[in-house]
Amino acid sequence: MNRAISRMFVVGTILMIALMANLVWLQVFHAKSLQSAPQNHRLIAQQLRVKRGLIQGFDGSTIAGDAQHSGFYSRTYPQGSLAPQIVGYDSVRYGLTGIESSMNAYLSGADLGTQGLIDRVLGRHSPGANVRLTIVPAVQKVAQSALGSQVGAIVALDPSTGAIIAAASAPSYNAATIDTSFARLSKSPDAPLLSRVTQGLYPPGSSFKVVTATAALNLGKVTPTTSFDDTGSYAIDGGKVTNYHGEVFGTHDFTQALTDSVNTTFAKVGTLIGQQALIAQMRAYGFYQTPPLELPRGMVYPSGRFKGPRLLSSSAAMNPLDVAWAAVGQENVLATPLQMALVAAGVADAGRVMKPYLVQRVTTPSGAVLQRAQPSLWTTATTPATAQTMNVMMQQVVNAGTGTAAALSGIQVAGKTGTAQRGNSNVAWFIAFAPANDPKIAVAVTIENTQFTGGDVAAPLAAQVIKTALAQPALP
Amino acid sequence: MSRRNVELALLALVGVAATVAYASVYAARFHDLRRDSVVTGVIFLVLFLVIHVAERRYLAQADPYLVPIAALLSAIGLTEIYRISPALALKQGEWLLIGVALFVATVLVVRDVHRLDTYRYLIGALGLALLAVTIVGGTSVNGARLWVRVAGFSIQPSEFAKIAIVVFLAGYLNQNKEMLSVPTARLAGVPVPPLKYFGPLLVMWVLSLFMLVFMKDFGMSLLFMATFIGMLYVATTRIAYVVAGAVLFAVGAGGAYQYVAHVHERFAIWLDPWHTAATSGYQLLQSLFAIADGGLVGPGFGRGYLLYSNHVPTVPELQTDFIFSAIANELGLIGGVGLILLYLLFVWRGYHIALHAPDGFSKLLATGLATVFGLQSFIIVGGVTRLIPLTGITLPFVSYGGSSLTANLVLVALLLMVSHRSLVVEAGSSTERLRLAELS
Repeated sequence: MNRAISRMFVVGTILMIALMANLVWLQVFHAKSLQSAPQNHRLIAQQLRVKRGLIQGFDGSTIAGDAQHSGFYSRTYPQGSLAPQIVGYDSVRYGLTGIESSMNAYLSGADLGTQGLIDRVLGRHSPGANVRLTIVPAVQKVAQSALGSQVGAIVALDPSTGAIIAAASAPSYNAATIDTSFARLSKSPDAPLLSRVTQGLYPPGSSFKVVTATAALNLGKVTPTTSFDDTGSYAIDGGKVTNYHGEVFGTHDFTQALTDSVNTTFAKVGTLIGQQALIAQMRAYGFYQTPPLELPRGMVYPSGRFKGPRLLSSSAAMNPLDVAWAAVGQENVLATPLQMALVAAGVADAGRVMKPYLVQRVTTPSGAVLQRAQPSLWTTATTPATAQTMNVMMQQVVNAGTGTAAALSGIQVAGKTGTAQRGNSNVAWFIAFAPANDPKIAVAVTIENTQFTGGDVAAPLAAQVIKTALAQPALP
Repeated sequence: MSRRNVELALLALVGVAATVAYASVYAARFHDLRRDSVVTGVIFLVLFLVIHVAERRYLAQADPYLVPIAALLSAIGLTEIYRISPALALKQGEWLLIGVALFVATVLVVRDVHRLDTYRYLIGALGLALLAVTIVGGTSVNGARLWVRVAGFSIQPSEFAKIAIVVFLAGYLNQNKEMLSVPTARLAGVPVPPLKYFGPLLVMWVLSLFMLVFMKDFGMSLLFMATFIGMLYVATTRIAYVVAGAVLFAVGAGGAYQYVAHVHERFAIWLDPWHTAATSGYQLLQSLFAIADGGLVGPGFGRGYLLYSNHVPTVPELQTDFIFSAIANELGLIGGVGLILLYLLFVWRGYHIALHAPDGFSKLLATGLATVFGLQSFIIVGGVTRLIPLTGITLPFVSYGGSSLTANLVLVALLLMVSHRSLVVEAGSSTERLRLAELS
């Protein structure tokens, strides 16, 4: 009998060990996958009980605030839909995007330094920290309304710091109603949820000539007065590069080539400097790297040469015709509006490209500063001398070339137009900075699906944004 | 140190643990600490001191670990129930008071477990009657018919029935163990005991099937059948019974799976809760999600995410069947494993008492009580962690519910009586020997 009792105990012990092993599996090895299961809403439901930190504009106004009803907090947007692709949405059903996601540790109150620790011991739900962005609501609003019903993006930043002043994507959406509109928005062919500023990859067209020109001037292969002859076509490697609308420019100098955006001349310059120098210059402006914005992984794309959705290696082989077309911003070169704004910023800030950023500072509800923006150099594009040469040449584009629609009275604007062909329509570009002698703002405007040129549809929008920004009492 | 002093020291430790746990919940709830938390710990301790004093008087040589384990389990349970709903904790506190009274009454009335042997058929009939009352006059909760309403109280008779049936089986098996052990016939070449001794096995099988079909209670059905097979094995030491019993139960359960929708659904949820995540699989998934959030150490008592803002638990039936999920959520793996170890410790003491019991009836009684206690814990913890199909059954001493708490205190009283007697008999007290001789 006693042996049987001992055996019973052995069986009982085995059963209890099975329970413990199963618990180890649940709480250690399987926990992550259970917590991230789409059926599991515990994490977000917990966060809804905490007063979420505000997301503010640079002027201190609230972009995303809180409303409380029956113990739960939900987001309100007192200024309407302001940069929703950047700010992001906060949905029980669809999760978090944009700043809401990347700054969640602060906004949710999970990361509040020592005060957070004390609160946790006493079981308090600490309200989240406030995140102040570099986005200036007044400029952002103008950028958004300038895009209107067009499909495209506008980004403006401070070339001397890298602070993003405005980042508009159109069409847009309303984060306040994301729960009911997500299904429709995610299926829309115009992709309103897409942050075109950081995720839109477009052929940069002639706006890319700024990169090509920088490389050529750096190498001493050309000067602003180097003479070229255009016959409307440049034959190379069994193919040819032609001008927009088949125009013929005859004899002209290099400044004129940029001012009138002569494709054949830039194709020749591309051949002159070669693949290696062109790609090296792209890298120097930040291509082939992901701009280090405070956005979730996958929300900011690098620019460069692409094959389908894949970024090619910077050493991928090119034939001479490829190089010639790449030099005028076609071929497989794709760039985000942000990257092209950084090209303009590099010229504006004497060849320095500052790290772009969106978060000015993070403060606890009681006012303690948890994080503050520290502007720093991202990459060096060129020498101050070459940058100054480019600056003057780009002023000429606005004063007497394709970009005259961006001219403002009393403010010298420097810029470059671009009109890239994609399918049956154009991608219209304008990149600019102003005032040219002391740049305070760099801008890139991209309009998709248009029959017009960058000078027609993009340049006037850049002018509006520049004018508004320079009228602000304070910029980041 | 004497056995009772060991117990007293352990109880003092439990009192401290209970006070700390309660204070933790209190702080999390009111963001403050008050004297109340200490007072509550003291009241809790005083209730168990009543049991302790009764033991000193009547069960001086009883096992010193069982009561502290039961007290610690109750403290954990009460704290977690308070954390879920202070109103329920107050009611559970009242039940604890009744349970302590019932413990003392059991010790005073029964005095010697062998007197239970004398009345085994009456007690067995009482157990069956309790189950019959549930089937006839019971109300359904969550699809299972488990509850009987008496004078405003909801009572779960099966919790008491399980003890009555264990007592009956201990007496019956002890008397017939020789007959059951000797095979006299052969069935398909396998030696089997005479058919008439198979009677009780078949009766228990039918009983467990009845519970399955009419009470829709797979958990209790499994508990009764498995406890019976375990006791039959200990009485006869014949593994053939275990095999036969398991086969019979499997056949019955297989039939129930086919024809009883409730049982079928339970299995379907176990196999794939994700498929019905918003409906029938919801409860089990929420339990798993809560457990997963616990991690290694958990946020501490009162600090997990267990209630929505309207005080509705995130897991339905959190305070009863799913209390283990709540504890695993707040105390993490350390707390969950600790709780399982406490049950293992309890079961170990139970079998230890059975090993040292002086006679067959006592051995079988202690074995049966330890088995029914351990199995019940296994079935519910395994259920809420998806190790086995989930069936509604209480976690002894921890779940909210008066019947479970009071019945398990009676179970402890019976184990302690066996324990006390075995030591007294070992010590060779002449009067005790005389009394034992009289009884047999």
